[in-house]
Amino acid sequence: MDLTLSRADYLQVGVTSQKTMKLLPTSRQRATQKVVVGDQDGVVICFGVKKGEAVPVFKTLPGQKISRLELGGAVNTPQEKIFIAAGSEIRGFTKRGKQFLSFETNLTESIKAMYISGSDLFLSASYIYNHYCDCKDQNYYLSGDKINDVICLPVEKLSRVTPVLACQDRVLRVLQGSDVMYEIEVPGPPTVLALHNGDGGDSGEGLLFGTSDGRLGLIQITTSKPIHKWEIRNDKKRGGILCVDSFDIMGDGVKDLLVGRDDGMVEVYSFENANEPVLRFDQMLSESVTSIQGGCVGKDGYDEIVLATYSGWVTGLTTEPTHKESGPGEELKLNQEMQNKISSLRSEIEHLQFKVLQERENYQQSSQSSQAKSTVPSFSINDKFTLNKEDASYSLVLEVRTAIDNVLIQSDVPIDLLDVDKNSAVVSFSSCDTESNDNFLLATYRCQANTTRLELKIRSIEGQYGTLQAYVTPRIQPKTCQVRQYHIKPLSLHQRTHFIDHDRPMNTLTLTGQFSFAEVHSWVVFCLPEVPEKPPAGECATFYFQNTFLDTQLECVYRKGEGVFKSDNISTISILKDVLSKEATKRKINLNISYEINEVSVKHTLKLIHPKLEYQLLLAKKVQLIDALKELQVHEGNTDFLTPEYRCILEEADHLQEEYKKQPAHLERLYGMITDLFIDKFKFKGTNVKTKVPMLLEILDSYDQNTLISFFDAA
Amino acid sequence: MLLPVFTLKLRHKISPRMVAIGRYDGTHPCLAAATQAGKVFIHNPHTRSQHFSASRVFQSPLESDVSLLNINQTVSCLGSGVLNPELGYDTLLVGTQTSLLAYDIYNNSDLFYREVSDGANAIVLGTLGDIAPPLAIIGGNCALQGFDHEGNDLFWTVTGDNVHSLALCDFDGDGKTELLVGSEDFDIRVFKEDEIVAEMTETEIVTSLCPMYGSRFGYALSNGTVGVYDKTARYWRIKSKNHAMSIHAFDINSDGVCELITGWSNGKVDARSDRTGEVIFKDNFSSAVAGVVEGDYRMDGHVQLICCSVDGEIRGYLPGTAEMKGNLLDTSVEQDLIRELSQKKQNLLLELRNYEESTKAELSSPLNEADGQKGIIPANTRLHTALSVNMGNDLQDAHAELGISTSNDTIIRAVLIFAEGIFVGESHVVHPSIHNLSSSLRVPITPPKDVPVDLHLKTFVGYRSSTQFHVFELTRQLPRFTMYALTSPDAASEPVSYVNFSVAERTQRMVTWLNQNFLLPEDSNVQNSPFHVCFTSLRNGGQLYIKMKQSGEITVNTDDIDLAGDIIQSIASFFAIEDLQVEADFPVYFEELRKVLVKVDEYHSVHQKLSADMADNSNLIRSLLVRAEDARLMRDMKTMKSRYMELYDLNKDLLNGYKIRCNNHTELLGNLKAVNQAIQRAGRLRVGKPKNQVISACRDAIRSNNINTLFRIMRVGTAPS
Repeated sequence: MDLTLSRADYLQVGVTSQKTMKLLPTSRQRATQKVVVGDQDGVVICFGVKKGEAVPVFKTLPGQKISRLELGGAVNTPQEKIFIAAGSEIRGFTKRGKQFLSFETNLTESIKAMYISGSDLFLSASYIYNHYCDCKDQNYYLSGDKINDVICLPVEKLSRVTPVLACQDRVLRVLQGSDVMYEIEVPGPPTVLALHNGDGGDSGEGLLFGTSDGRLGLIQITTSKPIHKWEIRNDKKRGGILCVDSFDIMGDGVKDLLVGRDDGMVEVYSFENANEPVLRFDQMLSESVTSIQGGCVGKDGYDEIVLATYSGWVTGLTTEPTHKESGPGEELKLNQEMQNKISSLRSEIEHLQFKVLQERENYQQSSQSSQAKSTVPSFSINDKFTLNKEDASYSLVLEVRTAIDNVLIQSDVPIDLLDVDKNSAVVSFSSCDTESNDNFLLATYRCQANTTRLELKIRSIEGQYGTLQAYVTPRIQPKTCQVRQYHIKPLSLHQRTHFIDHDRPMNTLTLTGQFSFAEVHSWVVFCLPEVPEKPPAGECATFYFQNTFLDTQLECVYRKGEGVFKSDNISTISILKDVLSKEATKRKINLNISYEINEVSVKHTLKLIHPKLEYQLLLAKKVQLIDALKELQVHEGNTDFLTPEYRCILEEADHLQEEYKKQPAHLERLYGMITDLFIDKFKFKGTNVKTKVPMLLEILDSYDQNTLISFFDAA
Repeated sequence: MLLPVFTLKLRHKISPRMVAIGRYDGTHPCLAAATQAGKVFIHNPHTRSQHFSASRVFQSPLESDVSLLNINQTVSCLGSGVLNPELGYDTLLVGTQTSLLAYDIYNNSDLFYREVSDGANAIVLGTLGDIAPPLAIIGGNCALQGFDHEGNDLFWTVTGDNVHSLALCDFDGDGKTELLVGSEDFDIRVFKEDEIVAEMTETEIVTSLCPMYGSRFGYALSNGTVGVYDKTARYWRIKSKNHAMSIHAFDINSDGVCELITGWSNGKVDARSDRTGEVIFKDNFSSAVAGVVEGDYRMDGHVQLICCSVDGEIRGYLPGTAEMKGNLLDTSVEQDLIRELSQKKQNLLLELRNYEESTKAELSSPLNEADGQKGIIPANTRLHTALSVNMGNDLQDAHAELGISTSNDTIIRAVLIFAEGIFVGESHVVHPSIHNLSSSLRVPITPPKDVPVDLHLKTFVGYRSSTQFHVFELTRQLPRFTMYALTSPDAASEPVSYVNFSVAERTQRMVTWLNQNFLLPEDSNVQNSPFHVCFTSLRNGGQLYIKMKQSGEITVNTDDIDLAGDIIQSIASFFAIEDLQVEADFPVYFEELRKVLVKVDEYHSVHQKLSADMADNSNLIRSLLVRAEDARLMRDMKTMKSRYMELYDLNKDLLNGYKIRCNNHTELLGNLKAVNQAIQRAGRLRVGKPKNQVISACRDAIRSNNINTLFRIMRVGTAPS
């Protein structure tokens, strides 16, 4: 069977955060449900749909930005109490809109994540987790990295309270009380947690996680250790996962997995015989999907997926067919509803336009006054700057609630802007005046009409660091633009990991001096991505990193007065030495730097690079041959006379060309890193070998691993 | 609104922009396209059993429906149509850089084969103006030629640069077609037979043109722009990051009006309204689109839109009918409309709220530090702009300068300038570093051409610590002759080259023209009588003198013949002059041209000699081959070896000769281009009928190889009568 869903737009509210839309339960099966949604204007609105029109049940006044919305109620009863988190306050509403709870927590930061199970309330701010029961403080945990989501396994099945935190350092932390029972490493920073099947599955221990780099997985959380069930990778390079729900949209009696991503992709996975998810449906919206729910909203008897987007659309993807086959009367009625809606919207718009014109004139008048001030309209930007492990590049995503007019990208460090297929904006590169104004990149993106989301791909060079700025100008009147800054770290291609191979030959850099723990931590934050701003608890910290391009490693162990950095890549140590010296000098701290260089590590790194380099060179050669071989094929008709190798190239021609297109300048990048390795090796010996670089490049042109290693030894 | 009706996958690559459909037997429409290695394939899905058996055409081993035509040169353009009305069926035309072949596929014969020294980059078939027979019109190295079915050269003229695209269109609504020419110098020219009746300047190479309806035509540029003109006015224009590979006019919704179909380099196909550019239909191929054509490919009485990709995929679409529109797509369209209206409503509400917040802020306390952080500035902040000429210094070349400043202590964080034609990529950004921020900014601007340009400025105004800025949007026009600085006349430096003409105008109006088209210092006061001004070019330091007598006689002194042409065209346009005769003399330029003409003769001689040499060597090779084989058969190995060594040496000589011939040909092409451009420039010194007369007369003089007459025509503007 195939799934056909048609889109129905119900309502537009303000900008929404993650997990801020829910469907209220009903007593009757497949009866229409009410939708409740909270936005960043602080408004909670509950509406039902009648005859295609959204009819509000209640709507609250604007207030503080709502960061989470959950349903709650006594265990084993319908969960129809509405709870919102706004700032550091929790408020509860009945399904008719009466507020029955106002709970001011003692958190010093805004609440970022919330989960409710019976009388238990689980909250997290950036780094802090709190557990309340009947609004009384029960447990507390300070996390080593930001907490993105929190959930509790179903207590009605397990008879124990098992909260789970999704932390930015790629770890799920399973808590018991205020302590961590154990940690689970997941392949990407987890952004969303959900119970498998909505109730934890048969065991009650099934936990779904979605990551910011688009992966999805199921883990069974037992009392002693995790059991990984399945994991879906992100081979299609789709967006990060923001929301997940379980609902039987396929109608086969088994609950399906509904996924919403931050690039607007909506997916449905169903579970067939093997208990592995299979993608059955996907559809691309043009903006982030912040919430997703399965249920019945538009019409009795028709299941649908309801989702909320970043800019506030509440949209259904419904199984109700668009064009009804039965009865001409029904058809006319449907069109009539549409026409009424269109007329109503048109008249509203006319009215608003009149008011806007008046206000514009007032605005012009006030610009004559010397006393008056001119504010800019505030608008929020949903931005995300992340490192992609697969191709060692950064993604910058900018999303605004109204259409983007243009974006100016400026960088004071050399970077490359790569093309993104999804991107339809016109990019123009401006000439840069690096000398006087610190501009290495000036590019403008002029967006097509109604573009609210822009995705860029950036390739950085390790050792070069600075600030990338994005000036975002939406099509808002009065005209305004907002600046967002993103730091390009010196070791920008390194990614946090929790396990490294200690058997590799390591180079060691040791810092000693009179510096505090916070000081040395700030240096590590400055040099490496994905390190939390706040120093970790305790007197000593250990972080592990992996280079996403070369697969080399870095270990950082530091405390007050001492820092030890170990890497099998000598260039990594070289960059750290340069940057740390500079930072210490800037703060006038007397630093003793000593290093221990392992010569074997250079050969080790070259061997790590070898498979990538060989693959790229071979790929380039094959792609060069494709056109000539195709011409022979055209002329001769069959390819029996060709060698098997050439026949293989012809058969894989499309795939090879696609692969080649996917990785522009990959070869140049590898060459660059090998050159850096060469220079850095001899820099530690006190020798300048820049004059020998042309010889190195000659060797790379006709690459042979042994020749290269010999050159490194002999030079 | 387009319904896909068929998809074919041919295992042949298709070269971009070289797709044509024709009924080569008078009945069955077949697709012809250029493919790899100098071949043209013909796809005939209608007669499976029929086989071509001819010297030029052979069956493709890969596809039973495909025949291959060997051209053995790189195909540069392809077209089809009825060239010989007596035949009654289509002819295939194949152009290369040196030749044009008109091929009758049905009868397996050439209608004609012509060597064309200017090459053929683009081709169009049809009737041009009052010229009765259908013509195959090709555009090449600054030259346009039209051939009838016997290969007679009935049409020949010059244009400003290499031709990239051609189309026939009834530009002036007189019922006869004019020729549209898109060229490498960014111009779209309209030829009424050999008279240029309009010129539109675009901002990149014009890669495609297609007629739409009446005087409306679509165009595409190499930077991803497509749009529609109606006569000289541009209706709409859009720019994409991909570029258009092929454009076509086709009515996709049966409403009687053609839409502009664009095939893009990323494989997208879209249909846009010819009035607004709004997208009406979209589809995707997995590789770049190579061509868009139309035909009744299924022979069921309906014309389909046919799109081809470079990978050999072919798709056909039928237009949707008028009734179909209401039923199938109505709900979806209404849904989209509701979404759009809701979005608009939200935007208006947001704008209202912005104004309310602004009003609220006005009532609060005076400006302070925190306000600056949020981007609040005084309401009476103004942005001033000034254009001036900067003579440059050791570090910087001379340039025009745009000064931007605010009226108070706010700072300018960045300026974005969007302008067609003067910046690579159409935009320029000035972004001072944090310690260079101030309330004023200077932007050097160096337009490469003398055209008026609208600068669209977006200026970010705030304070040093702001994270949000006000955006001031202004449009400022750069005059046409921005790169010329006013200087004092000095008789000693007056250029000897000049143009001289008369207009029936007062000098006062000339001063007005000067103020509109040059960047004059604000305090300058050009006097009316005598009118005598001098400028220096910021690009190369050349001098420009403009003088006008009370009688209306104008003399322009400059050694730059292009600049002289620009000034004459600008003055004629300003004064609405339709016909203007000009007397001109450019001694240095004409002397260079004389040398070029001598070189052209030399290259022609060398060409003939080289051809003769190659023929001689070919004969020698043939005889040597025979004698070597004789020696082998007689087992005289020593003699055979000696003969083959001689053969090897001769072959090397032949290869060397070929290289020399290639170089000679390249030089010849370059010089021919210079000659054609000289004719173009001589024409551009005149307006209207005198312009056409000059071009025709120059062409005649070159045909009759009368060099002295050529120069006299260029100077005086007419042939001796």
